[in-house]
Amino acid sequence: MSVSNMKRLTVILPAEEVDALMQRLMRLRAVSLEKSEHEGGDGIPLCELDVGDEVAAAAARAARVDAVLPVLTKRSTRKKSLLRSVNPISYEEYRRSPAFVKAEKTVAETERIVAAMSAAREEIAAEQALMDSLVPYLSFDFRLDDEGTETSRFLLGALPAGVKLPRLEELAERVGFVTEVLSEEPSGLYVAVICHRKDADRVRSELGAIGFTPAAFARTDGKAMAIYDAAERRVQQLRQSVTRMDSQLDILSENLSDVEILSDIEHTALLTAQNKQRLRATERCAVLTGWCPARCEQRVTALLSEYVAAYSFEEPAEDEEPPILLKNNGFARNFEWVLGMYSYPAYGKFDPTFIMSIFYFLIFGLMFADAGYGLLLVLAGFGAVRLFEPRESMKRFLLMFGYCGISCILFGVLFGSYFGNFPIAFLQNVCGVPVDRLPNLALFPSLEANVAVLFDPLQNPMGFLLVSLGVGAVHLVAGMIVKGVLLCREGKPLDALFDIGSYLVLFSGIACLFLARVAGIVLTAVGVAAILATQGRSKKGIAGRIIGGFGGLYALINYASDLLSYSRILALGLAAGVIAQVVNILATMKGASFMGFIMLILVFCVGHLLNLVINVLGTFVHTSRLQYIEFFGKFYEDGGVPFKPITPADRYAQDVSEEALQAARRNGTESAPDGAGERVRVTETA
Amino acid sequence: MAIFDVIFTGQNLALLGAALAAALSGMGSAKGVGLVGEAASGLLTEDPSKFGKALILQALPGTQGIYGLITAFLIIFKIGVLGTPVELSVAQGAYFLMASLPIALVGYYSAIKQGRVAASGVNLIAKRPDEIGKAITSAALVETYAIFAVLVSLLMVLFAKV
Repeated sequence: MSVSNMKRLTVILPAEEVDALMQRLMRLRAVSLEKSEHEGGDGIPLCELDVGDEVAAAAARAARVDAVLPVLTKRSTRKKSLLRSVNPISYEEYRRSPAFVKAEKTVAETERIVAAMSAAREEIAAEQALMDSLVPYLSFDFRLDDEGTETSRFLLGALPAGVKLPRLEELAERVGFVTEVLSEEPSGLYVAVICHRKDADRVRSELGAIGFTPAAFARTDGKAMAIYDAAERRVQQLRQSVTRMDSQLDILSENLSDVEILSDIEHTALLTAQNKQRLRATERCAVLTGWCPARCEQRVTALLSEYVAAYSFEEPAEDEEPPILLKNNGFARNFEWVLGMYSYPAYGKFDPTFIMSIFYFLIFGLMFADAGYGLLLVLAGFGAVRLFEPRESMKRFLLMFGYCGISCILFGVLFGSYFGNFPIAFLQNVCGVPVDRLPNLALFPSLEANVAVLFDPLQNPMGFLLVSLGVGAVHLVAGMIVKGVLLCREGKPLDALFDIGSYLVLFSGIACLFLARVAGIVLTAVGVAAILATQGRSKKGIAGRIIGGFGGLYALINYASDLLSYSRILALGLAAGVIAQVVNILATMKGASFMGFIMLILVFCVGHLLNLVINVLGTFVHTSRLQYIEFFGKFYEDGGVPFKPITPADRYAQDVSEEALQAARRNGTESAPDGAGERVRVTETA
Repeated sequence: MAIFDVIFTGQNLALLGAALAAALSGMGSAKGVGLVGEAASGLLTEDPSKFGKALILQALPGTQGIYGLITAFLIIFKIGVLGTPVELSVAQGAYFLMASLPIALVGYYSAIKQGRVAASGVNLIAKRPDEIGKAITSAALVETYAIFAVLVSLLMVLFAKV
């Protein structure tokens, strides 16, 4: 529950070692790079490492694999799933394996086939266009490139739909040519015209005047029929080859897993090149600057000492803002991403993850108090992590909802909600238990049937409102206490006493009013007096101080509105409960018949799943909001930039060193990224 | 006026309340979700991989419709539309009508306003996908008032003496 200490890392190393060291640092996942601004000394200027070509080449290689991946993914018969385990492998070892060669071949082959397929498709389209243009002229029984005899001339073409045959015949009579109608289609009249060679130009212009368009064909090397048949055969042939290539791609898609790893490897090469851009160098050496968590110092040192390199770890200077790496226990760690959605704490400030995670757990469960839905969350959250071993960020996301599910179960039992009022609805409508014999278990007496330990919120909403506001009050007071402790730590105990203590005295006074009247009045009065006396202390002059004091009292309104904001716990709880009740009524409506049973299962599953989805979203959003606004508003100093160590690309696999991999294999653990020794637990930034 | 006596019965006034709660807040939500959807489509033409994030934002203004639905259901239960109808005086019916107004009115208005905030949140995640938390929180601030409204409506309906 703290922000990790960071050390500024500076490494000076020979230029030829840069590649090797960079790859190992990336695998260590414990160092973040900064654009080095080292000025150099002794008159030797430092410039940026010129790796532009390397970056461009690596980007092109990665883009090639990325272009192929979706083609193969679409065809792959491998089971698709949102979650998948990411196995540790060694990219270096993989590069030497036959699988790597296979992957590269697959990429090249896929590229070739995809290109050939699109060329074939284009040709099919062209041939079909040719066929379409030939159709009206199929009955013309001369070669299309045959212009006529020595004295005569053929003209092929179409007349628009409006021009009728008599008009053409009249023109033929007048100008002197012979026509033959080849076909008549809705789009117009297709004709062959035969005229004297010397009249050809005049005939053409006369015909043009009535809208004649000469036919143009992509190919004219034969009779229309012959060309048409050839095109048809060609299309068929091409279609066959497309099908063949299609099935070739299907076969290639079996190598998808290897291509995925290839993609990671190429992207790692790209990342390495990009990381090198952040270095500065002379001709012989390079300077690398960055950040490293203090607790990883040893491991980084061990790695660096294998190289001929000068390095130093320094405490951050006053004006520097090191990146933030949070350190939390196994439970609270899963809530770090909720904090990340707001903003990370500033360096050296308080990390509220742990205390927030406890309240998140409580409030989520209270807002969505239902043992049935909670159980589903637990199964989904923990089950998915067990089954798929997803990557760290996904794992934490799932585990958080799993833990919140536990909380939902606890509160669900307390408030007697198991998929809403399902037990009662089932007993009453399906088992036919009369109303007066339904269970009524609640500790707080209730007129209606329920299975609650405490009480049913739908029957006693005011009671639940009090519980909600009570939890809210504890939450707010906890926030104030955190602020008080932080002030004390900063050496401002008086501020803590005046700004926090006086309000706490007032609040405890108000709380006491209900229990011990006299003590309550006294405490309240002391609190009010303390606020009036101290809240204007920074102002000048009597008037300013008095106004400041009343201003402090007026600030109570903010606390009241913060507190009332917790009534959303009741509202969202009621929302979930009422929808569940509706589902249960519909599900058990038909009673204990066969149809009723079918209906029960159908409506139950669909309805409750829908309610679960809607309410998980709502509960997540509003529980987060209560943390962000009501709780963090009291004390949180945020503004840190998350620590993003340089890492290999690990979308599909996880790169570890060969030695670590072999060690893991010897130990018989197939996938042990944490045990592999090179994986540091770092906060992944979602 | 006999026709008034027939139309403005206690049952019908309560039903009018249920109808208003479901209809107005549903209209607001439809408009709000639609606004976000339009913005989201623009984003998705550029980057389809942000669908999940855009979907969360789009779902946010949908809750008012659900709140209206819940209130309508509770009124329907209370007045026994699904089982044996409860005998309601005109005043009792009017009580349910009044009780439905907070979520009907606030649900309509806040869903549209929340939709606009969420739509601008879509623009935010187009440029900075990591900041979705802030986009959600801004939209959730608007929803607060719908939550208060549904709370008031629900309490009034739950405590109705019929």
